[in-house]
Amino acid sequence: MEIITSILAGVLFATAIYNLLQKQLIRIIIGTALISHGAHILILTMGRLKAGQPPILREGISNYTDPLPQALILTSIVISFGVTSLLLVLAYRASQENNTDIMEELRGNENE
Amino acid sequence: MSNLAVLPIIIPLISAIILIFFHRKVKLSRVLTKLFSLISLGTAGYITWYVLENGTIILNTGDWIAPYGIILVMDGLAAILVLTTNVIATACAFYAPYAGLEKREIYYFYPFFFFLITGVSGAFITGDLFNLFVFFEVLLMASYGLIVLGGGKVQLRESLKYLLINLFSSMLFVTAVAFLYAVVGTVNMAQIAERVQEVEQQGIITTIGILLFFVFATKAALFPLYYWLPKSYIVPNPVISALFGALLTKVGIYSILRTFSLIFIHKTDLTHDMFIWIAGLSMIFGVIGALSTSNIKLIIAYNIIPAIGFIILGIGVLNPDGISGSIYYLIHDMIIKTALFLLVGVIASVAGTSDLRKMGGLIHYYPSLGWLLFLSGAVLAGLPPFSGFIGKLLLLKGAFEEGEIAIVIIGLLTSLLILYSIVKIFINGFWGDKEAMTHIEKKPINGLLTPIVSLLALSVLLGVGAELFYPHIESIATYLLDPEIYIDSVLKE
Amino acid sequence: MLYAILIPLLIACFIPALSKLKTKIHTGIFIFFVPFFIFIYFASFIGTDFSPVMEQYSWIPSLGINFDLYLDGLSLLFVLLISGIGALVVFYSIYYLDKSEQLGNFYVYLLMFMSAMLGVVLSDNIFVLYTFWELTSISSFLLIGYWHFKERSRYGALKSMLITVFGGLNMLGGFILLYVVTGTTSIQEMIQQADMILSSNYLPLILGFILLGAFTKSAQFPFHIWLPDAMEAPTPVSAYLHSATMVKAGLFLVARFSPIFATYEWFFIVVSVIGIITLCWGSYMSVRQTDLKAILAFSTISQLGMIMAMLGFGTPIAIFAAVFHILNHATFKGSLFMVAGIVDHETGTRDIRKLGGLATLMPITATLAIFGTFSMAGVPLPFLNGFYSKEMFFDATLGLGSGGWSQVIPYLAVIGSIFTFVYSMYFFFGTFTGKKQLDQLPKKPHEAPIGMLIAPILLVAGVILIGLFPNMVNAPFLQHAATAVNNAVEYKKISFWHGFISPFFMSLAVVGIGTVLFITRKKWQAVYNFLPGKASFNHIYNGIISKLDTLSNRITNFYMTGSLKTYMSLILSTVLIVSVVYMFLTDGFAFSTDQLAEPSFIEIAVVAVMIIAAIATIYMNHNVAAILVLGVVGFGVAILFVIYRAPDIALTQLVIETVTVALFLLCFYHLPKMRKSTDSIKTKTINAIISIAFGALITIVAISANSSRWFDSIADYFVENSYKLGGGDNIVNVILVDFRGLDTLFEISVLGIAALAVVGLIKMKKNKEAE
Repeated sequence: MEIITSILAGVLFATAIYNLLQKQLIRIIIGTALISHGAHILILTMGRLKAGQPPILREGISNYTDPLPQALILTSIVISFGVTSLLLVLAYRASQENNTDIMEELRGNENE
Repeated sequence: MSNLAVLPIIIPLISAIILIFFHRKVKLSRVLTKLFSLISLGTAGYITWYVLENGTIILNTGDWIAPYGIILVMDGLAAILVLTTNVIATACAFYAPYAGLEKREIYYFYPFFFFLITGVSGAFITGDLFNLFVFFEVLLMASYGLIVLGGGKVQLRESLKYLLINLFSSMLFVTAVAFLYAVVGTVNMAQIAERVQEVEQQGIITTIGILLFFVFATKAALFPLYYWLPKSYIVPNPVISALFGALLTKVGIYSILRTFSLIFIHKTDLTHDMFIWIAGLSMIFGVIGALSTSNIKLIIAYNIIPAIGFIILGIGVLNPDGISGSIYYLIHDMIIKTALFLLVGVIASVAGTSDLRKMGGLIHYYPSLGWLLFLSGAVLAGLPPFSGFIGKLLLLKGAFEEGEIAIVIIGLLTSLLILYSIVKIFINGFWGDKEAMTHIEKKPINGLLTPIVSLLALSVLLGVGAELFYPHIESIATYLLDPEIYIDSVLKE
Repeated sequence: MLYAILIPLLIACFIPALSKLKTKIHTGIFIFFVPFFIFIYFASFIGTDFSPVMEQYSWIPSLGINFDLYLDGLSLLFVLLISGIGALVVFYSIYYLDKSEQLGNFYVYLLMFMSAMLGVVLSDNIFVLYTFWELTSISSFLLIGYWHFKERSRYGALKSMLITVFGGLNMLGGFILLYVVTGTTSIQEMIQQADMILSSNYLPLILGFILLGAFTKSAQFPFHIWLPDAMEAPTPVSAYLHSATMVKAGLFLVARFSPIFATYEWFFIVVSVIGIITLCWGSYMSVRQTDLKAILAFSTISQLGMIMAMLGFGTPIAIFAAVFHILNHATFKGSLFMVAGIVDHETGTRDIRKLGGLATLMPITATLAIFGTFSMAGVPLPFLNGFYSKEMFFDATLGLGSGGWSQVIPYLAVIGSIFTFVYSMYFFFGTFTGKKQLDQLPKKPHEAPIGMLIAPILLVAGVILIGLFPNMVNAPFLQHAATAVNNAVEYKKISFWHGFISPFFMSLAVVGIGTVLFITRKKWQAVYNFLPGKASFNHIYNGIISKLDTLSNRITNFYMTGSLKTYMSLILSTVLIVSVVYMFLTDGFAFSTDQLAEPSFIEIAVVAVMIIAAIATIYMNHNVAAILVLGVVGFGVAILFVIYRAPDIALTQLVIETVTVALFLLCFYHLPKMRKSTDSIKTKTINAIISIAFGALITIVAISANSSRWFDSIADYFVENSYKLGGGDNIVNVILVDFRGLDTLFEISVLGIAALAVVGLIKMKKNKEAE
C-alpha cells in the first residue's frame, strides 16, 4: 500500500506542478493546494501505514502507528492553511491592481 | 544557564506581540522597537560571549531529552549569526523611522519585523530538522507580510511570485524531511547525523540530501535557483530590502552549511565538488546580472548572488580555511549588504529615481553619501583591509589547498566585476557636473546615515581588527569539521 | 618606519577640517612638510655602510598578516623617490592648482597615495603589500578623476582602476599560492625558501599571477593602455604617480621577487620579451602623439619597458642599470612633466601643433626642457644622467649570450631608442623652437612664476649632478639597491668613457639615425598614422567594456524574464536532472516489498478517485467545478487519514478543508473566470513532461526511502512516555503540546502573522480608497 500512496503522492505532485506552470492565477492556486496534499500524504506514508492501532493509548494494546509523522502533518496542515489564505488574498489584490489574472502579463521590466 | 539559548527567539517574539497591541501608536512603536532591538542585541552579545567562553549551550525544550524533544543548540556558529542578525536588526530599527514607511508603520511593520527576527534566530539555533522548517515558515510568513505591505501594482505582483516559489520550496522541504524520516527514523539533526554516518550515507540518502540542498539553495538564491530574488527584493521599502538581503538568503546558506558539514559529509566527492561548480556559476551569473542593469537597487540585489557563491565555495572545499572563510564571509556579507541596501535606498530617494542613467553629479550635494558608497564598494569587493578581504583570503586559500585553481580565478575576476558594478554607481551617479541633474531633493539624511555609518564602521573593524574575531571563527570552523562534537554534545548528555 | 607610512594617512584625515578653516594660505604649503620630513628621515640611511633594517609589528598574526617593514637598498631607493619627488610635486602643485579648486580632496588623495606607496615598497608581508598596492590603485583612480566633470577624466579613472585592480587581484592570487606553498607570508623568508617554490607544481601559475600584477601596474604591453588616459589627471599627479612612483611599483615587485625567480627560465623569457616589446611599442606610439602629455605618457611606457627588460635579463650589469635608470628616469621625466604642466598652464594648450617658438618667451622653461629631453634621448654628453644608464642598457643587451633569439635583443633595443630620440627631439623642438603661433593659443604665454619653476629646476639639477658625478650616488646608494635585487652585483665605478666599444657605437647609431628620422619626420607621418588604428588595444578595452554592458544585459534578460513559469520550469528541471543523476551515481534506487501494508479495496478506490480528481483539475474550465474537484482531493486525503489510523489529522484536515473551500469560493468569486488554456501543444507537452517527470521522481524517491528503513523510529519513546511523563492518552496531542510544543507555538505564530498580513492587505487598500 505504501507504494500505491507513493504513486498517489507522485500524481498529486505532477498535477500540482502542471497547474503551477499554467498562466491563469486560479490554476496556479489550485496547484499549490494539490502540492500540500501530496506532501502530507507522503509524510504519512513515510511513517509506515497501518503498522498498528491509532496512536491513542488504550489498555492491552502495545502496537501503535507512528505518532510523530501525524504530529508533523498537523503542524504542516495548519501552516499551509495560513499560507494559502494569505495567497488567496494576495492573488485577489494583485490581479485587481494589475487588471489581469494572467501571470505572463505580470512580468514587469527593469526600471519601475 | 541553558535557558539562554531560547532568549534570542523569545525576546523578539514577545516584542512582536507587544507591538501588535500598539500598532496604531506609531511614535510609541518606534521607541519600543529601538528599545527591544537593543535589549535583544545586548542579550545576543552576552550569549555569544558566554558560548565562546564556555562552549555550546544545549537546551532541551520542555525538558524532553534528545532526540525526542526539540533541542536548541546554541553553538558558536549559531551564536555569532544570531548576534549579527541582531546587529542588523538594530540598524534597521533605527533606520526605519526615517525610511518613509508611512502607513506601513501602522499596519504591523514592527510586529512583522520582530517576527522575522524570531524566525531567523530560531532557524540558526534549532537542532531539529522539522523545527527548522517551522522557523523557516515563521520567517517566510513575516517576509510575506513585509513584502506585501502597502504595495502597489509592482510590489503585489512581485510578492506573488516570491510567495509562490517559496511555497513550492517549503513543500519540497517537508517532503524531504519525510523521506529522511523514513530512512533514519528521526528528525533530530544530531541523531540524523549519527545514523547517516552509521550507514555511510549509502543508497537513497544522498539523493534526499540533494533535494534538501535544493530547498535551501532556492532560499539562498544559488545558481540556478535565484530567479525569484532580484526583482522581489527591490520592490519593497529599502529597510525591508535590507532585511531580506541580509537575512533571508543567509538563512538558506546557513542551512546548507549546517547540514552539509554535519549530516551529508560522507560522499563529498559527489556533493561538495558540485558545490564548487555551483559557487563558480553563481559568481559568474550573479555578477553578470549586476552589470546588466542601470537600476541601482537591482545592482545591489544581484550582488547577493556572487556573495552566496563565495560562501558556498568554502562549504565545497570543506577544509578549515574554507569553512572559516565561509563563516567570515557570511558575517561580512550580512553587514555590508544591509548597509548597501539602506544606502541605495537613500540615494534613490534623494535622486528621485533608481535609474543610473538619470543621475549625475550627486557628490556636489551629498558628498557623505558618495564616500559612503565608495567605501561600501571597496568593502563589498573584498579590498583590504576590510571585512570582505579576510573572508575572501581564507576562501581562496582554502580552494588552493584543494587544488581548485579555476574557481580561484573566477573568484578573483568576480571581485573585480563586483567592484566595477559599484564604482559604476559612483562614477555615473556621483561624479559629473553640478548641473547634471535638474531636480535633486534636498533632504536631511543624517538620521538615515547613522545606522549605515555604524554598519560600515563594523565592517572596517571586522577587517582591520580581524585578530579580535578570526581566532573564534577558526575554532568554530574546526568544531564544524568534527561533527562528533556536535553529535556528542546533543545526544550524550 | 611605521610612522613614516602612517603619518601621511593620519594627516589626510585632518585635511577636511583644515580646508574648512578658509585661511588665505594654500593648503599645499602645510602638506609640503610631510614628504619633506619623510625624505630627510630616510635620507639619513644613505651611506656606504648601510645594511637592511627590519621592523616588525603584529597586526593579524593568526592569519599571518603582520606589519613587517623591511628597508633594504631597493626600498630605500624607492622611499627616497616617493618622498623626494613627492615633496617637489606638492611644492609645484601650490602654484599649479588654484585655491578655487577642491584642494582638500586633492591633498587627501595625494597623501593617501603617498602612504600607500611607502607601504608597498616597505612591506615585507605579502598581504600588507597587497593592501597598500590596492590603495595606490584607488588613490590613483581618485586623482585621475579629480576633474570628474570631464567625461575623459571619468573614462581614464575607470580604465586605470579596472586594469590595475585586475592585476592586483591576480597578484593576490599569486601571493596566496606562495603562502600555501611556503607557509610563510614574509617575502624575505620566501627568498630563503626559493628552492621550495621553484620545485612547486604551481610555479608557472605563481609567476603568471605575480607578473600580471606587475605588468598592469607598470603599464607593460598590452596593459599599457590605461596610462595615456591617466593623463587626464592634474599634471603634478602625472609627474608623481604616473611617471616617477606608482607605475614603478610593478618594477619594484619584479625586482623584489627576482631573487626567487631569477633562475627560472620563463621568468627571464617573459619579463625580457614583454619589456622589450613595451619599449619598442611605447616609443613608436609616442612619436605619433601630438599632445605633450601623451608623448610623455608613451615615453614613460617605453622607459618602463626598458627597465622591465633589464630586470628580466637579470645579469649584474642589467640589474645595476635598471636601478640606476629608475632613479634617472624619475629625475628627467619628472622635470619634463612639470615643463609640460607649465606650458599648459601658461599657454592654455598642450597640443604641440599649436605650440612653437616658446623659447624666447619662456627661456627658463626651455632650458629645463632641453636638459630633460636630451637626457631622456640618451645623448652622449657627460652631464646627462640618462646617457649613462642607457649605455649600460646597451651593454646589458649584448651580454645575454649568443644563443638564438637573444641576439635580436640589441637590435630591438636600438630601434626602441631611436624612436625615443625622435620623440624627445620633437618634444623640445616642436614646443620651443620654430614659428610662433600665438593666435592659436588660448592664453598669452609668458614665463612661469618662479615658485612653479623651483621644482623642475631642482630635478634638472639632479640630472646634471648625477651626470657629472655619477659615483656620488653609486656606492652609498645604487650599489645597495642593486645587491638587494641580485647579490652578484659587484661594485664598479661608473665612468663616461669606455673606449670605442659596441655600446658606444649603438648610442651613435641611435643619435645618427634618430636625427635623420627627426628631420625627415614629415615624410613618415603617413606610416605613423597607418598603424595601429583599429588594431589598437584601446579598441579591445573599449570593446570589452561595452560588450560587458550589452552582453550582460542580453544574457540576464534572456532568462530573467519576470515570468513565473520560466522560473518554475528552470528550477524544476534543475532539481529533477541533478537529483536523477545523483540517484544513479549513488545507486540510490531501492525496492523492497517487506513490511508493506496490505491494500484494501476501499483504499484503492479512494486513491483512484483522488487521482482522477487531481488530473481533472487540469481540465476544469469553471471556477466552481474546479473548487469542487479540488475539494474531492482534499476530502480524499481526510479519508485516507482515517483509514491510516490518524484520527486527529483527519479531523483537522476536514475542518481546514472545509474552511479552505469556503475561502476558495470567496476568492474565486472575485477572480476572473477560468478560461481554456491557450498554450500551444508544444508548451503543453513540455509542461506535461516536467510535471510527470517530477511526480515520478517523488514517487521513486518515496519508494526507495520506504524500502530503506534502516533504523527504528524514535516513536517508541513517545508511545512509552506519553502517559507516564506527558499525562495524555492521545499520543499525537501530547507530542504537539508537549514533546514538540515549540513547533506548535510557532505554528500558531505563523497563523497569527498570516492573519496580520491579510488584515494589513485589506485595510491598507481600504485606506487608499478612502483617500
